[in-house]
Amino acid sequence: MLIRSASTSNREPPNTSNPWHWLKGTWVDRILLLLAVIAIGMSWQWLHQNLSGTPMVHIYHGKTLLATYPLHPETPIHFQARGDIGLSEITIDSDGVHISHSSCVSQRCVLSGHRHRVGDILACVPNHILVSIQGTQKLALDAVSE
Amino acid sequence: MTAPQTPQIPRPSLASLEKKAYWLGLLLLASGLHIFEAVMPSFGPWFKLGLANIITLIALERMGAKAAASLAIGRVVIGAFFIGTMFTPTFIISLTATLSSTAIMLISWRFIPRISLIGVSLLGALVHMCSQFIVVEQLFIQQIALYYLLPPLLVLSCATGWLNGALATYITAQLTIRSR
Repeated sequence: MLIRSASTSNREPPNTSNPWHWLKGTWVDRILLLLAVIAIGMSWQWLHQNLSGTPMVHIYHGKTLLATYPLHPETPIHFQARGDIGLSEITIDSDGVHISHSSCVSQRCVLSGHRHRVGDILACVPNHILVSIQGTQKLALDAVSE
Repeated sequence: MTAPQTPQIPRPSLASLEKKAYWLGLLLLASGLHIFEAVMPSFGPWFKLGLANIITLIALERMGAKAAASLAIGRVVIGAFFIGTMFTPTFIISLTATLSSTAIMLISWRFIPRISLIGVSLLGALVHMCSQFIVVEQLFIQQIALYYLLPPLLVLSCATGWLNGALATYITAQLTIRSR
């Protein structure tokens, strides 16, 4: 075998059969993980700080707001959003909001199922359609974008 | 009468040939894992385990930065060719995220002292996820509300990045032991 490790000597992997040893990482790895978790936690907190108020479903095609409906309508709502490759049918009922039909090939948006919490989103990337559940308060990211 | 002179083509060394064959083997393995992940049941619309990245990490540790970068790009192109997503939004998102995550992995491996493949994989997974969202937001959806989905997916990326890094460390250690 002529292919040898290209790593430097201080990165030589230790020879041990204990599986926990492999999951431990170096202290640098653990610091990186800690920093990442702190950054994610802070951004999560910041993003969700104003997610209150009456939940409303906003349907967008690209930058254009197509429609806004309350999340819990008295009768189910079926909205057909025209996107870049065809129609996406969005249904809002007692279970929440879901994309019931889409013209895209992968159908990942349809398979995403129902969303019912403020802050949740559904997206059909090929059709450029986004369904977002937002509270009536101004969101943290909206304040930044303004 | 002498036989006509034929130009002598220099023969590549055995070590060079073996290195190329080794890289090609890793590329095929990475492409296979990439395709396998594309056809296996998804854990969510934005989330994959990143198994193919284990091979990139092995290439980085055993063959260096250049081999790892070419392998990462190569497996995305070959994978897209076989899955049938070439030049679709999926391909653009995948290629951009792979380029940025590979760049951060190579930089961290080169410049952060005492980092292991686990830390490299962790950074790669986080950058891959962030890049996907930036590309989708800039090119396709154009709605900033998209980023509300990012924090929970970054938590999952931390977990998969760490596990993939641990697996890559284990595999490279076993390969090192067997090559002695």
